[in-house]
Amino acid sequence: MPVDTEKEISKMHRMLHSTRNEIGKTYYRWRQVAIEFAGDDAKPLDVSLRAAEIFGKDIGKSFLPRMNWLKGEEGFLMILARSLAGLWNTEGGLATVEKGENPGEILIKCLRDPWPTWAKEYGAPMEEVALCRERMYQTILEDVSAFMNVPLKIELQKAISRGEGETVMRLSKAEQG
Amino acid sequence: MAKTLFEWDYSDYPGAKTYPHLFKPIQIGNLMVPNRIKYAATEDNLNGHDGFVTDAGVEYMRQRAIGVVGGLCFMQGVYMDEKRQGQGYVGQAACWDDKFVPGLKRISDAIHEAKAVAGFQLMDCGRVGAVEVDYCHGPSAVPQRLRIFKPVQEMTNAHVKTMIRQHVDAARRGIEAGFDIMEISGIVGYLISNFISSYTNRRTDEYGGDLRGRMQAVVEIIQGVKDVCGADIPVGIRLCSEELLDDVRGNTPEESMETYKMAEEAGADYISCTLGWQESIYPVISRDIPMGNWIHLAKRAKEHVNIPIQMAYRLFKPGLPNEKIGAGELDIWEICRSMIADPHMPKKVAQGKEDEIRHCVACNLCLARLFRDAPMTCYINPVCAHEWQDEFANPKAAEEEKEVMIVGAGPAGLECAYMAARRGHEVHVYDKRDVIGGTLNEAKNAPYGDDELWTCIEYQKVMCEQAGVNFHLGTEVTEDLIEEEMPDTVVLATGPAYSRIEASGGDSDKIVNLLDVMSGKVEVAETVVMYGNRKPGIGGALHLAKQGKKVTIVGKEKSAGFDVNPSFKWRYMIYMRQNGITVYNDCDIEEVTDEGVIVKAFDGVRWPIQCDTVVISDRGPNESLKKTVQSEGIELFVIGDALIPRNLSSAVHDGYRVGIRL
Ligand SMILES: Cc1cc2nc3c(=O)[nH]c(=O)nc-3n(C[C@H](O)[C@H](O)[C@H](O)COP(=O)(O)OP(=O)(O)OC[C@H]3O[C@@H](n4cnc5c(N)ncnc54)[C@H](O)[C@@H]3O)c2cc1C
Ligand SMILES: Cc1cc2nc3c(=O)[nH]c(=O)nc-3n(C[C@H](O)[C@H](O)[C@H](O)COP(=O)(O)O)c2cc1C
Ligand code: SF4
Repeated sequence: MPVDTEKEISKMHRMLHSTRNEIGKTYYRWRQVAIEFAGDDAKPLDVSLRAAEIFGKDIGKSFLPRMNWLKGEEGFLMILARSLAGLWNTEGGLATVEKGENPGEILIKCLRDPWPTWAKEYGAPMEEVALCRERMYQTILEDVSAFMNVPLKIELQKAISRGEGETVMRLSKAEQG
Repeated sequence: MAKTLFEWDYSDYPGAKTYPHLFKPIQIGNLMVPNRIKYAATEDNLNGHDGFVTDAGVEYMRQRAIGVVGGLCFMQGVYMDEKRQGQGYVGQAACWDDKFVPGLKRISDAIHEAKAVAGFQLMDCGRVGAVEVDYCHGPSAVPQRLRIFKPVQEMTNAHVKTMIRQHVDAARRGIEAGFDIMEISGIVGYLISNFISSYTNRRTDEYGGDLRGRMQAVVEIIQGVKDVCGADIPVGIRLCSEELLDDVRGNTPEESMETYKMAEEAGADYISCTLGWQESIYPVISRDIPMGNWIHLAKRAKEHVNIPIQMAYRLFKPGLPNEKIGAGELDIWEICRSMIADPHMPKKVAQGKEDEIRHCVACNLCLARLFRDAPMTCYINPVCAHEWQDEFANPKAAEEEKEVMIVGAGPAGLECAYMAARRGHEVHVYDKRDVIGGTLNEAKNAPYGDDELWTCIEYQKVMCEQAGVNFHLGTEVTEDLIEEEMPDTVVLATGPAYSRIEASGGDSDKIVNLLDVMSGKVEVAETVVMYGNRKPGIGGALHLAKQGKKVTIVGKEKSAGFDVNPSFKWRYMIYMRQNGITVYNDCDIEEVTDEGVIVKAFDGVRWPIQCDTVVISDRGPNESLKKTVQSEGIELFVIGDALIPRNLSSAVHDGYRVGIRL
């Protein structure tokens, strides 16, 4: 039977989108479970931020094999920024990487993000979406910083979930403490 | 006057004439070692999980001791802390208490019975340790690059001092256990190398900082161990000559050479030159690295220090080490895997019996098993780790002599043949090919070192000749032949049955067999689909890609090369990427069309791939002749790929196991 390429691609495309959608929703279903188990004294935001840390810790480990200093500090920061953007894209975002105004500064920009939509569907606050992304990336950087012996920081500058039209995160070297 | 433990005279050994430099004595500290051969320390996971030595471990070492013909024979590195943070392997020998001394003494006794020099090794596995506890330890809490390891806990200053003390105490126990020479292991990312490397040591106390600070713990260990060892027991250290960690800002090669000088200053009597880390992205000892690739590092080491330099790393044959020792570029030939594969390897060199050596094929299964908490096994040597089981290692003569027909002269058939013949059976090996070796005739043409697989056949050929196996090459075994010969036993070692594409277009003349491709019997077009994603398919795809073909692999397994052990598989993944090979796993060929093939994934998604040749490498069990043998009431065994298509290792192990059972 000959292959109808358009049909096959659209089938795969549909599958990819529904898979992503299910994964996003599953996160919020589990969020509900975690909040219930945490009890009345726990703040939902704290529960979610803890989840972001656990995700970040695990994802950070998977970044380590790819980290590479052979192209110097700038090359290393670029590989890292691309990995962070790539992660977002896998989740269904549309993220790109560009050099910031100052040396050693990289901006990760996301123009489209499915997380606010899911959050809304499950009644999670929009600010939580923004803060969890930031916390997750900060936790990823903890292991990467320790591994490469370079203090790194990432800050959220704008967020779609705050109604700012795009999410922008600034990756740079932290001052040595 | 240097101390000599055992007198050896090699004048009657032919190999000592061919390789005169290997059989010259050398003084290490105050010890005179009769030759230049060393079995390098090798974890084997054969000890009890409580760290006590077992019979299996003792007999394993006894054979290696016989193998070094009077040279140095080192036992595996022992861990030294009761908390077991430094323990890297479940079956690693322990030495944190005097209670381990009697067991360890059994090993030094076994080595001495072979008149070899018994070496003891101290090895805290540092950031690769803690198999049984939650945290390993290291100079700084730098996360591991590989997930399989436990998180690292930064050692306090007091902890560092305790660790130094533990080395000294363990060395004392080693001496009490009767060992003659002491070694500190600073190999592949274990604790000593963790302290030395700028990648993993970020301390600010006296055990960190500049290179001298990072060497401070090592210097104190050397000095402390030297103190307990006294003048007569030399102390050496294995040290990285190149960490190959430039991507994570490890030490430079120049810094490594400085550490050699510092170790010499601290009193080391020799240095074993090592390289690479488990966390390095560069391969060091797999088959794709040519033999002798690293020997220049020994020369460089000798330019920096005046104490003897020892080195291993893909020095599988005696010629190069002999030459380098003669040229003053190396002092001692270290051997690890070649003596896992053949414990008597250097002895055979000495005896002029090199053609009787079973060569290591550098597959790294032995390493992969250590990391999976499994006891040592060798891909190519079925007896490895079974030395203590006499009925397995030295099977008795058969009670009743049988006429054995072995169908197939591949590695499975040959292994079975010589073992059965040795035990007194009359063995006849048939192959429809004119040559022995089976599929390895083709497999050896795959790139990245696969020609080394052929060494197995060379060894088996000699064994078969010595055992008096009868060969009938160019003879296909048919039902008629079996009925005519009516042997007592038939062993089917006929290799696999290659799959057919049971789909529309399955009879297309663009479909060819992998073996014909590998032997150059058929022409292959520029665009190729390789059907089958196990190692034969990967080997074939790489072979074709090297000829400039555009190759796509389509295979049913969930991951390509799942039959290759993880310590080697990652190399193939890189080579496939480098050679532009696309791989579709968990897929089948649904149709062969004029343009190419249609692939169907497990979930039903289909797509076309353009190609002018389809190569079949997918295989299944071989059922032919089974029924005939059974219906004649003849004893039947099926071995190797004929039973279930696997690999060279299974072929050899199956062959051996049936050979000793017949
Ligand atoms: C390209 C390629 C790459 C490979 N790479 C690797 C690798 O890297 N590592 C690894 O471990 N393995 C590898 N393999 C697999 C390995 O070669 C086989 O697993 C191994 O050879 C199996 O041995 P065997 O003795 O069971 O069968 P075979 O080697 O297939 O031998 C079977 C023999 O039986 C003979 N025969 C069959 N029927 C009859 C009959 N009726 N009468 C007489 N003779 C008969 C055949 O002519 C053949 O010589 C590779 C294979 C290929 C093709
Ligand atoms: C299974 C295995 C276990 C090893 N265990 C040790 C060990 O206990 N201590 C050590 O210093 N090196 C150890 N090594 C490293 C070897 O001693 C040797 O340096 C290395 O394998 C390279 O030599 P080769 O090419 O001859 O195998 C081990 C290597 C292997 C393959
Ligand atoms: S398992 Fe492989 S690498 Fe290890 S000794 Fe045996 S053949 Fe060599």
